Order: sequence, then C-alpha cells, then structure tokens
Amino acid sequence: MKTRSAQINPGVSSKQRGIVPRLLQLVGLLVFAVAGVVVATAALASSRQLTTPQASQSTSIPHVKCVIGLENIKPNTKGTLSLLPTGLEFATGKNKVDISTASIEDIFTGQESRQDVSGPAGTLAKAAIPYGGGRIVSLFSHKVEVLTVEYVDSNGGFHGTVFVLSSGKATVLKDQLVAQGAKVTPHVEPQEQKP
Amino acid sequence: MKPRTRAAFLSNFSIAVGAAALLMAASLLAKPSPPGKPGSAPQQAKKLTASAIQLERTDPPEDLLIPEDTRVATYENVILQLTKTKKFQHVYRSGDRTAADVPDLVILRLIPQAFKQGSQKQREVTTVTGATSIKVTIQFASRDGKILREKIVEGKVRFYGENLRATSDLAKKVAALVNDTF
Repeated sequence: MKTRSAQINPGVSSKQRGIVPRLLQLVGLLVFAVAGVVVATAALASSRQLTTPQASQSTSIPHVKCVIGLENIKPNTKGTLSLLPTGLEFATGKNKVDISTASIEDIFTGQESRQDVSGPAGTLAKAAIPYGGGRIVSLFSHKVEVLTVEYVDSNGGFHGTVFVLSSGKATVLKDQLVAQGAKVTPHVEPQEQKP
Repeated sequence: MKPRTRAAFLSNFSIAVGAAALLMAASLLAKPSPPGKPGSAPQQAKKLTASAIQLERTDPPEDLLIPEDTRVATYENVILQLTKTKKFQHVYRSGDRTAADVPDLVILRLIPQAFKQGSQKQREVTTVTGATSIKVTIQFASRDGKILREKIVEGKVRFYGENLRATSDLAKKVAALVNDTF
C-alpha cells in the first residue's frame, strides 16, 4: 500500500509543479505590463514638465492645442502659437490665423489638468487593460494652462478662442499681449478646475 | 373525452379567443396617435422661418460662476452647429453690424441657468461620479423682442472626455432644437 501511494503522489505533484510556474509567469507578465504603462506615463509627464521652463522664454510655443474658435482651423488642432509685434498667430502645417492685438477685447487664463493617456486611442488602451488597470492609468495627469482670447472681427462680431498650453506659458503670453496694448477687463477668477 | 365535455371546452375556447380579439382591438383603438400626425396638431409647435440668425452673448447671473473657457467654447460650438444645420443663409455673431439690415432676423440667446464643474479624473476612475453639466435656457426672439420659443437644454459629459465636451453636447442639442423649430 505504501509503495502504491508513493507511485501515485509524484504524478500529482509534477502536475502541480507545472501549473504553479505558469501562473507565476502570467502574474509576472501582468505586473510587468502594468509597471511598463505606469513608467511610460510618468516619463511622459516628467518630460512635459521639463520642457516647460525652456519654452516659456520663447515667444513661439509649439504643440499648442486650439480647442475651438479659429476660422479655418478644425477644433482640437495642434499647432504653433506665436506672439508677433501685431498680435497672436496660430499656425498649423497648412493654415495660419492671426488675431491682431487691437481686436482683442479680453484675455483669460486658467489652470486645468489633463490625463496623460487620453483621446480615443488612449481610452481604448485603458479599457483593454485587465482587472480595471485602466483606472490606475487614469490617475496620472499633468497640469496645463488654458488661454481664452476674446476678440472682434472687422464687422464687430464676437469671437472667442480657447488654447491649451503647457503650464506657465499662458500667463507669460497674456502679460506680453497686455504690454502690447491688448484690452483686459478685471474679472473674478473662478477656482482652479478639477482635473 | 366525452362529447359533452368536448363541446363545453370548444365553446369556452371560442369565448376566450373572442375576448382576446376584443381586447386587442380596444388597445389598438385606445393607442394615442404618434406626434406629427394631424390628430396631435395643437401640441406640435408651428415651424418658424427666418433667413438669418444671430447668436447673442448673455452674461450669467452674478451668483453663477462659469469659467470663461466654458462660455467661449459653448458660444463657438453653437455657432459651428448652427452653421451645420444649413437652416439659415447667414449665421451672425453677437455685435455683427451687418445683421442690422436683415429684415427677418431671429435672435438666439443662451441664458446660463446652472453649471456643475466635474472632474475628468474622477469620471474615469469611478465611472459614476464627476460628471460635468451645463444648463441653459435657449431663447429664440424676434428683432422687436418677442419671444418665439424657449426651452431649457442641458449639456453633459458623464464618462470619458474633457470637461469642455459638455459644451459640444449642449451645442448639438441646440442644433436639434433649431431643426425642430425651423
């Protein structure tokens, strides 16, 4: 009897030995994948923060998102926002739009947060991470500044444009525009928007 | 089965079928006619006509604080959506001097009623909280100040997307209302 049980048990333990390493391998891969995503998002956020002080000295700011409000520019288009002696200029690969300083009626700045992984592709990627891992990725965000410029066209029609810039750049641009002669009315600043 | 029992069963069955048919007929007759049919004419608003529309900018009440980027994004999104409806020959902006010559101009006002600042992070992490919403009264008026139509509309972003997406949602609802009205 003892001999039989000794013959059966090694078979069972070898099966268990085969499953345990596989499980460990799978868990390891999962942890590695989640860690990879976390490291990538953190690196992205830190690189954005590092570029901020260098670009704020320049009057030409690349990678600015025009959320809405410019003629012939589609909403959420990225381009370069430049401060010219005559006013603001937003340029994409194809189009260029100017807002003259004289036409500016008001300028607002505000702080917001943006998700590090966003957009349709980012949302899909987050949804694809198992066990709700996408929610952990959603915790990573970076600060941005929103520049809202209100201006009038040649007929007196009201226009408003919303730009999203890296943190610290909108205030510099606003100050430079005010120095050029752009109108700014005193207003109550709303509380910082939640991310 | 005995012949008498069979006859009773058949008569009961025919009564049941008849009753069911009567009930179905009654339910069909009692069903209200869908909107748009001549029977519901008093409820349906008469369509308006205008060659041009001007979107006026309205300040929110003093106790309602709306971020300026949200107000501007709402305004510009509504202008985009009004143009997309192709119901008007011209969509004028607030303060446009050329609108003064248009005889049948309709003025559209967006009067802010409520605003709730949500959080994109909260939305994406919890999926049930952090919604951003903006509620406005949409008012169509004639040049002499007569209010032609008024409705409260709310724009929201509940799950995914930035807070400003609520303004795009609102603008689409305004466009739907314009399509219903004109």
